[in-house]
Amino acid sequence: MLGNVVRVAAVAASGGGGRLGSSAAGAMLTSRTFLKRTRAGAVVKVVREHYLRDDIPCGAAACRLCGARPAGAGLEARPAGAASHLCPGPHYLLPDTNLLLHQIDILEDPVIKNVIVLQTVLQEVRNRSAPVYKRVRDMIANPEKHFYSFTNEHHRETYIEQEQGENSNDRNDRAIRVAVKWYNEHLKKMKNEENIQVIFLTNDRNNKEKALEEGITAYTCEEYIKSLMANPDLVDRLACISDEGKEIESGKIFFPEHLPLSKLQQGIKSGIYLQGTYRASRDNYLEATVWVHGDAEENKEIIIQGLKHLNRAVHEDIVAVELLAKDEWVAPSSVVLQDDSQNEDDIENEEEKENILKASVNKNMLRPTGKVVGIIKRNWRPFCGMLSKSQIKEARRHLFTPADRRIPRIRIETRQADTLEGQRIIVAIDGWPRNSRYPNGHFVKNLGNAGDKETETEVLLLEHDVPHQPFSQAVLSFLPKMPWSITEKDMKYREDLRQLCVCSVDPPGCTDIDDALHCRELENGNLEVGVHIADVSHFIRPGNALDEESAKRGTTVYLCEKRIDMVPELLSSNLCSLRSNVDRLAFSCIWEMNHKAEILKTRFTKSVINSKASLTYAEAQMRIDSAGMNDDVTTSLRGLNKLAKILKKKRIDNGALTLSSPEVRFHMDSETHDPIDLQTKELKETNSMVEEFMLLANISVAQKIYDEFSEFALLRKHPAPPPSNYDILVKAAKSKNLEIKTDSAKALAESLDKAESPAFPYLNTLLRILTTRCMMQAVYFCSGMDNDFHHYGLASPIYTHFTSPIRRYADIIVHRLLAVAIGADSTYPELTDKHKLADLCKNLNYRHKMAQYAQRASVAFHTQLFFKTKGEVNEDAYILFVRKNAIVVLIPKYGLEGTVFFEEKDKTKPRLDYNSEVPSLTVEDTTFRIFDKVKVNIMLDASNIQHQKIRMVLVEPKIPGKDVPANPTTEASVSNEPEKKKKKLQK
Amino acid sequence: MAALELLSDEGYRADGRRAAELRKVRARMGVFAQADGSAYIEQGNTKALAVVYGPHEMRGSRSKALHDRALVNCQYSMATFSTSERKRRPHGDRKSSEMTLHLKQTFEAAILTQLYPRSQIDIYVQILQADGGNYCACVNAATLAVIDAGIPMRDYVCASSAGFVEDTPLADLSYIEEASGGPQVALALLPTSEQIALLEMNSRLHEDHLEEVIEAASKACKAVHAVLDQVVRDHVQEVTALLGD
Amino acid sequence: MASVVLSEAEKLYIVHGVQEDLRVDGRGCEDYRCAEVETDVVSNTSGSARAKLGHTDILVGVKAEMGTPKLEKPDEGYLEFFVDCSANATPEFEGRGGEELGTEIANTLYRIFSSESCVDLKSLCINPREHCWVLYVDVLLLECGGNLFDAISIAVKAALFNTRIPKVRVLEDEEGSKEIELSDDPYDCIRLNVDEVPCVVTLSKIGYRHVVDATLQEEACSLASLLISVTSKGALTCMKKVGKGSLDPESIFEMMETGKRVGKSLHTSLQKILDEEESLGTTRQKVGFLG
Repeated sequence: MLGNVVRVAAVAASGGGGRLGSSAAGAMLTSRTFLKRTRAGAVVKVVREHYLRDDIPCGAAACRLCGARPAGAGLEARPAGAASHLCPGPHYLLPDTNLLLHQIDILEDPVIKNVIVLQTVLQEVRNRSAPVYKRVRDMIANPEKHFYSFTNEHHRETYIEQEQGENSNDRNDRAIRVAVKWYNEHLKKMKNEENIQVIFLTNDRNNKEKALEEGITAYTCEEYIKSLMANPDLVDRLACISDEGKEIESGKIFFPEHLPLSKLQQGIKSGIYLQGTYRASRDNYLEATVWVHGDAEENKEIIIQGLKHLNRAVHEDIVAVELLAKDEWVAPSSVVLQDDSQNEDDIENEEEKENILKASVNKNMLRPTGKVVGIIKRNWRPFCGMLSKSQIKEARRHLFTPADRRIPRIRIETRQADTLEGQRIIVAIDGWPRNSRYPNGHFVKNLGNAGDKETETEVLLLEHDVPHQPFSQAVLSFLPKMPWSITEKDMKYREDLRQLCVCSVDPPGCTDIDDALHCRELENGNLEVGVHIADVSHFIRPGNALDEESAKRGTTVYLCEKRIDMVPELLSSNLCSLRSNVDRLAFSCIWEMNHKAEILKTRFTKSVINSKASLTYAEAQMRIDSAGMNDDVTTSLRGLNKLAKILKKKRIDNGALTLSSPEVRFHMDSETHDPIDLQTKELKETNSMVEEFMLLANISVAQKIYDEFSEFALLRKHPAPPPSNYDILVKAAKSKNLEIKTDSAKALAESLDKAESPAFPYLNTLLRILTTRCMMQAVYFCSGMDNDFHHYGLASPIYTHFTSPIRRYADIIVHRLLAVAIGADSTYPELTDKHKLADLCKNLNYRHKMAQYAQRASVAFHTQLFFKTKGEVNEDAYILFVRKNAIVVLIPKYGLEGTVFFEEKDKTKPRLDYNSEVPSLTVEDTTFRIFDKVKVNIMLDASNIQHQKIRMVLVEPKIPGKDVPANPTTEASVSNEPEKKKKKLQK
Repeated sequence: MAALELLSDEGYRADGRRAAELRKVRARMGVFAQADGSAYIEQGNTKALAVVYGPHEMRGSRSKALHDRALVNCQYSMATFSTSERKRRPHGDRKSSEMTLHLKQTFEAAILTQLYPRSQIDIYVQILQADGGNYCACVNAATLAVIDAGIPMRDYVCASSAGFVEDTPLADLSYIEEASGGPQVALALLPTSEQIALLEMNSRLHEDHLEEVIEAASKACKAVHAVLDQVVRDHVQEVTALLGD
Repeated sequence: MASVVLSEAEKLYIVHGVQEDLRVDGRGCEDYRCAEVETDVVSNTSGSARAKLGHTDILVGVKAEMGTPKLEKPDEGYLEFFVDCSANATPEFEGRGGEELGTEIANTLYRIFSSESCVDLKSLCINPREHCWVLYVDVLLLECGGNLFDAISIAVKAALFNTRIPKVRVLEDEEGSKEIELSDDPYDCIRLNVDEVPCVVTLSKIGYRHVVDATLQEEACSLASLLISVTSKGALTCMKKVGKGSLDPESIFEMMETGKRVGKSLHTSLQKILDEEESLGTTRQKVGFLG
């Protein structure tokens, strides 16, 4: 046989060989192969190229071996971090992934500097926790911190391949160790008089042992932090992630084991377990409900009762639950239980309490009941609250009681318990072992004295998840450099509208002016009306840190005396604020209208304007009204006002609703900044004039971006409420012999207009307030993901937000879309990705909701402050709702709403009779109906320092058996209150 | 799991390249003996074969013959195993018909077709492994194959793609970069005259950035040109050395 | 295939040569041309190989995909063959021109692999009746210089040898629902035993004698050939007469004997180089089409 099969041997490949563009980087090629499951479930082999390079700098400032100097600060040549007795020499730190994830609080301390963050670590962090990733990125961008990110996976000498029998975690651990070794050898070559060492920080015992075997200096975070001589208090902020073996707690097991994720997913797929969001009960720490995800009709809401069944789940966690057998089902208890035991291991006591729950079972009320078998995703955040100091003197371990009652108490270790007592502090949960009654956590931050205005504001921001940290260096780096002026380049796609007589009308004291208007007569007799909106998207470029931060914040949050900006102040109050007599960039929407306010032409353009006047509503109103004034601004205003009236009428004819809700404003004492009086806002004609044009601009823009991007337009909709929502309104009106029609928005608006009672002038307002409560929430959405665009309240088929880009992120996106639509700016991939837009909308809706809650909480807090100084008062009130055991009243004078309970702790309960048909509530012999006028006594209840509240008690009509001081002596209560308060603080 | 980071803050792409860097290009001419010209190219993990038959008489119907120039006939096909999820058919689908058309346009612009009236030149390209820039690899391979066949061209045709991520143009996109959905430009260039033989762009990209992206793509094309030129020179040297023996 | 047109004189020359056991390229009647084989040439396949036999150039890619077992064989996976006669080989294959030949070759492959013992199909089963591996064996014909079937069978065998199928675990819970889990370790994979995979030996009748591994020219002189598939142990698994001429029974037996003998040694040398290549592991520099 002549022919033989031969192996093809490698010969030097001909051809140009590898050249990487114009770069001189000698790069080596390798490939990474991995298997991936596609969405359809197929297994595919993926091969990706992986280039290894020689030109990646080590980041050390003193290094001359690495040619290219890294951008940014890099590592200091002489790292002068905190002195440590473990490593007295100069050193850099190199943490592993878990350390970064868990001990980020410590690493953020200014004392910690010169840290090398490996790409391996950074990628893992990125995949596991987006918030931590962002914090790490911020630190890397901060020149003070000297954090350096080393692209080790593409460095020829630090890249390693996964070995046989090695899982990817082990591989990454090895990659980190290889990088540490490389660094140490590399830094030795620097021939400095003092050799810089790289210290490997890991809390993983195995990894540390392996590192030590390989001759790497490695410490746990705890060892290192404790070795810092000058900063003993840092130790408090260590997360206590204890190794399984090294439990401080007693060996007693409180909780069943959590099942591993793979088991859970399997179980969920097969239906034995249900996945849902865990919501702890506010009133009862032994009870929670799980809202099952998905569209299942049955068992949507599962009750969990008892410590063992709750099984260490924390409010908002995504958990897997298993349903119990029907005979074990329970009813939601109406008992209020607070976890106040001091003895941690007092499990018998718990069981006793659990029995209390079971005793009060009503057979008809049984609900699906389950137990938590595992956690799918923890949603822990830092929690605000107060320290409950251990009764044992000198103890280091204390319990922390979060302000949110749904969060369990957390055990922390601290040496500063004495200082922290009576302070609002932040604590983060680190873990919850099976043998611990409470989760373990660590102290993060001291916010200040409980009850202080600053502290409480901070608390309410934190509790409503309002991002309010000062903007990071990375974010600020994207601001325009001052002094800023408009350049030739800026003018490329802009019209110069500086000659137009533009003015702005805003509430007094407004510094973030995002809209301005003009109106002039054209030669053809028509009117030209322009709405000019601050061109924020000119300054905030997609994808940079500034943009990401604004997108995350979503909205500016207005509190009673504080504003949490969405964008840095330079933009919000200066460059983007359309102040008078300065050139400002704007995005203009210009209509040509006839005198009947019919739009003939609509045009959008980026522009430059120079506002001639920044007016308040009152000033504008005055100009319009004073016949003597005939300057350009005033003429313009009059034109606008005239058109606005027509527009408003048209809108209302179309069925737009005008609803009212009492808006409260505080008069502040100029020195103490304490509220001295409350006032409900009054509306002027000019308010509605500005509003009318903003609505018009929003509608015009919505139409334009939808025409251009039918799939990617960010719109705002307001769904029509289901008819049943109106039941209460209709019933309430009926009780006053009025008819409210709810079959359409137009009918509703008309019937509301007619609902007047000469004897009861406030009735109409009350009806409108009640109508507001029947409405659905308006939401942002992406046009490609929804088919219902209707805005019910405004009776517009399409709507969006365009007019307030300084304070709403949605408007920025809308600006970008519009800019692309008119060719004035470029697009980017995320803008035309409807899934990304939908995610963005989700965040914006969430932030808006939270901002509203925070605002309400702020008003509530200031109301409390107000009543703290004012003492007890008696005021007229109207009943808004009737509940089973209480009435909800509105006090018009303060725009304040509150609940009057008829049952009190430790007192005999009055006879209550609730009729849901009317609805009415009869207490003893007095019957309460909606809109009844009553008189209530208002006071501050400060018995719980974490949860102060306004308490209302009925004064008129009198109910027998309930004794309330009809005429409280104001002096007495005023002097009483603060004393009580002081006592609390001193304790 | 977070989406893939296309360009890290440190300036590296997912595979470790910098924004303007090309993948490794390796090529060889004269892969097959029976065809008139053939070549093979690797651009990273994208691998393509091209063969050229002709110029020869018209095959099949003579009515298609052009009286003043040669007909350039192309076929683009992808091996069924070339993609990570198996393809059901190698050619004839919409995408490959489009590619076929693009190739035809590109090479009609480059080959001196007027020299061969009433004849036909067949260019067949085959993707063996697909990892982004399939069209570009095919054009580059076909250029070498046409040269191998000794058919005169105005210039080399060099192709490369470019994308735009985080305000930075990226040269020579890999599959994951293409799949991210950002704007991308495929450019076929006659490098010496800087004439564009084919330009294709998808997804929205602002006019202002277009220049930058095209600039990045044409820079990449020129880098490809340098490699191809070296391949041709090496090949010619090798062949003459063999002939000399 | 590049068609060869031979004159009568040329044909006579070839036929007379064969008669004397001396072929145009110097080989004897039972000699193969030098075959070049390289595996793992397409990195995103589960297994691949390129085989060159003279000018015949074949690339085979194997892709393992998850599918459902066939009803009649609930506990086995299966193989699917597809042959793409690329226009690379000859302009005649452009468009749908190569389909007929492709289908013919694919059908032959199905028949060759229909034998039970050929590949252990049970090892491809993940869980009976629900999941199994389907191996898509895709043959790409790049150039044709005679003796297509033999070259394809060599390439297929080499590619199957090279195939690595990811290991998956079937997780089953109490209620019987199943979840498939992929191993995290890329080295964790199933290899196929290819000992029993046959190779094709085509014997072409030229004049009164027969030759193996005919070139295009020789094929043009042959009226009929016998295609047999032989295992490494010399067992015959499939046989097929091709070509427009006829064969007498006597010569069929002779050809079978030759085929078995030649096939056995073909297997031996193929296995030898596959093992050799395997032993080089990942350090081997791949050549592919660059050599």
